[in-house]
Amino acid sequence: MAAKLGGALRTLRYLTTRPVSCRLIGTSPSVRCVHEDRPQFPGSKSKFTYKLSFLDPDEEAGIPVYRVMNSEGEMTEKSEDPKIDKTTVLKMYRDMTLLNSMDKILYESQRQGRISFYMTNFGEEATHIGSASALHPEDMVFGQYREAGVLMWRGFTLDQFINQCYGNTEDVGKGRQMPVHYGSQDLHFVTISSPLATQMPQASGAAYAFKRAQNGKCVICYFGEGAASEGDAHAAFNFAATLDCPVIFFCRNNGYAISTPTSDQYRGDGIASRGSGYGMLTIRVDGNDVFAVHNVTKEAREICVSHNRPVLIEAMTYRIGHHSTSDDSSMYRKKGEVVKFDTNNPIGRLRSYMVKQGWWNDDQENEWKEESKKMVMESFAKAEKRKKPNPTELFKDVYEEIPPHLQKQMDSLKEHLSKNEDKYPTQNYEAWSEH
Amino acid sequence: MAAPAKTMLRRFRRTGVLKELSKVTSLNFARAAHFTYVPDTPPAVYGDTTRMNLVQAINNTLDLTLATDPTAVLFGEDVAFGGVFRCSNELKNKHGKCGDRVFNSPLSEQGIVAFGIGLAVGGATAIAEIQFADYIFPAFDQITNEAAKFRYRSGNLFDCGKLTIRTPCGAVGHGALYHSQSPEAFFAHIPGIKVVIPRGPYQAKGLLLSCIRDPNPCVFFEPKILYRGAIEEVPTKDYTLPLSQAEVVQEEDVLTKGYTLSLSLVEAVLEGNDVTLVGWGTQVHVLLEVAKIAQEKLGVSCEVIDLRTILPWDSDTICKSVVKTGRLLVAHEATHTMGFAAEIAATVQSECFLNLESPIERVCGYDTPFPHVFEPFYIPDQWKCLEGIKKLVNY
Repeated sequence: MAAKLGGALRTLRYLTTRPVSCRLIGTSPSVRCVHEDRPQFPGSKSKFTYKLSFLDPDEEAGIPVYRVMNSEGEMTEKSEDPKIDKTTVLKMYRDMTLLNSMDKILYESQRQGRISFYMTNFGEEATHIGSASALHPEDMVFGQYREAGVLMWRGFTLDQFINQCYGNTEDVGKGRQMPVHYGSQDLHFVTISSPLATQMPQASGAAYAFKRAQNGKCVICYFGEGAASEGDAHAAFNFAATLDCPVIFFCRNNGYAISTPTSDQYRGDGIASRGSGYGMLTIRVDGNDVFAVHNVTKEAREICVSHNRPVLIEAMTYRIGHHSTSDDSSMYRKKGEVVKFDTNNPIGRLRSYMVKQGWWNDDQENEWKEESKKMVMESFAKAEKRKKPNPTELFKDVYEEIPPHLQKQMDSLKEHLSKNEDKYPTQNYEAWSEH
Repeated sequence: MAAPAKTMLRRFRRTGVLKELSKVTSLNFARAAHFTYVPDTPPAVYGDTTRMNLVQAINNTLDLTLATDPTAVLFGEDVAFGGVFRCSNELKNKHGKCGDRVFNSPLSEQGIVAFGIGLAVGGATAIAEIQFADYIFPAFDQITNEAAKFRYRSGNLFDCGKLTIRTPCGAVGHGALYHSQSPEAFFAHIPGIKVVIPRGPYQAKGLLLSCIRDPNPCVFFEPKILYRGAIEEVPTKDYTLPLSQAEVVQEEDVLTKGYTLSLSLVEAVLEGNDVTLVGWGTQVHVLLEVAKIAQEKLGVSCEVIDLRTILPWDSDTICKSVVKTGRLLVAHEATHTMGFAAEIAATVQSECFLNLESPIERVCGYDTPFPHVFEPFYIPDQWKCLEGIKKLVNY
């Protein structure tokens, strides 16, 4: 009897000194909630502290930048070498440089007034190719606008890019959006829209649908560090985490949102530091190192599809080009800064790696440069000659069907044009046809 | 302590003390509804019916959708436990073992709508709930720039047609600024979405099922004052009512479609030729009562039209009626300036200029925020509508 009592007392003492919650000892009502040294608030899980101390983010070391290959294209940590075969590496390089050639030519063509608008990808090619190469081709992509390399990797043709920029009859978007607002159903690349960050919570939703469909796919969502300031970014992260969505948030932190430097954009440790606040697995990577980007994306994909958890990747890079053709970045940043990053760009780094492997030489480089330029020019010439789509396309796809009031408005334009054709550029458009 | 209190309560109840008390309380804190609900009678072809209020009809529709469409999900703030208005009651436990079909979202309207768009793009039927229409504005960007333009901007490569946004709207007696709004006109200016408002349980089930199955994103406003107050027979089977079609309460409908309309509706129709009255949601019931009073007091017969779909709206039905009556009154709870009545008035004026015998009358909420204690003075009630009719016929 006494021994039993002693045992019970010992148990009681043990339990009261252990940081356990009510629920854990709930099976024994007599000892329930005898003493608690853990907070029981439903909103958090942590300990009490009797020392007044604010968390100071400035006292914490920044999240490190993961890299695989140094600036000279040498694999610094052999164990991290993704060991990508020569053919794939050559495709990576060719896609990055082809994108670069297309950017140069389309940028110039806008300067000549041949297309209305353009945005280059200079300096960020590795973030596109490195991540795209680590995904399954059917993983759904939601982008911002500076991710053309992802499409390039998946097989979007030069014709398709340039037709969109021209808004001609061959543009699958039917000429309705500004240039660089690409989309492809076949390549699972959701059509780009201008409003920033709107795609982010949408990506979480699509990922939830994929999880329920158990199709083994994930969703990747690209955005810039500026877009991450939008409310939609907050919604996206929080929804993805609480609803366990298999989505990779891929932030391109290139230092600027148009003219706004990151010092005016945020005060914390970049975007990556926000990840754990939402309960997301997070990593920061050297965005100019295509292999590092490949590695983190591959791992993130694995986490998404196996554990239904979102992952945040922040790729540190630098926007070498202007924001867009409507922007002159010399107004707000020094040339030296741009040159510094341009001399250490992701394309050059991959080339150094390939040369070291004996997979690439100057002759191949020159030959490819010429060939890629020629390919772009040919596509460009073809796209420029094509007509714009039929003006009836202005009225279609607003709804799945054309409602009566829109049909009326379409008819009224038709009638108007029949009387005023000479006042409109109709010769540049396909002839009016209702079908 | 507890036992005597209980006994006392029981005694009060028996003697009717509480009953009297509650009467007094209701006089002090609430007023009688500003309308009398006119029940709808579904056509006999829809088969068996059950008495349902609006909440039950919505619940039944969602239940049916979850049962028949395995991709369908239902989400929003507090949806999992049944919803603050009980529209999703029991649905979480009934459908799907993982609880992943009826679930709570974090408290973020922009997130809810965007998440719904993403679900739809990802192949799911997404039914999003915004707790009050007053709180839909944080999602305005996602609705107008994204949902509405998804199909158009992609050349029909992608769309979010499988998205439906449900939200309670309208006056409720004491909702003040942020539990009373009728924001349909903001949404009527957005090409690419459909905007629908039912006037009762039977309409709600048919129209909501249409919205859910429509290949375009829809915003479905539920007049919350009808949630419990509107009770009628609702078919138990699956049926849809067409969108973009106003319902005219007309003699020929009564005869050809076998509608057994309630007395006041039939009266308004059988004797109606002088004025067309257009409204939607709760306001239809106000107008039905107005029609009855106008008949009795003024000898004026009215044709009452329930617009049902705000966008794209059925101008043909309304113009046809105005061609017959020559006079139009549009009434809505939302504020006057740029309310949807303005669009109707402008269109009718342009289409029926030669038939109009008086200026079109708009009886709407005032151009103020929706007030708390002044609600009885704010709303476009039957007496204001009746004055409008007098103006029309005496012009």
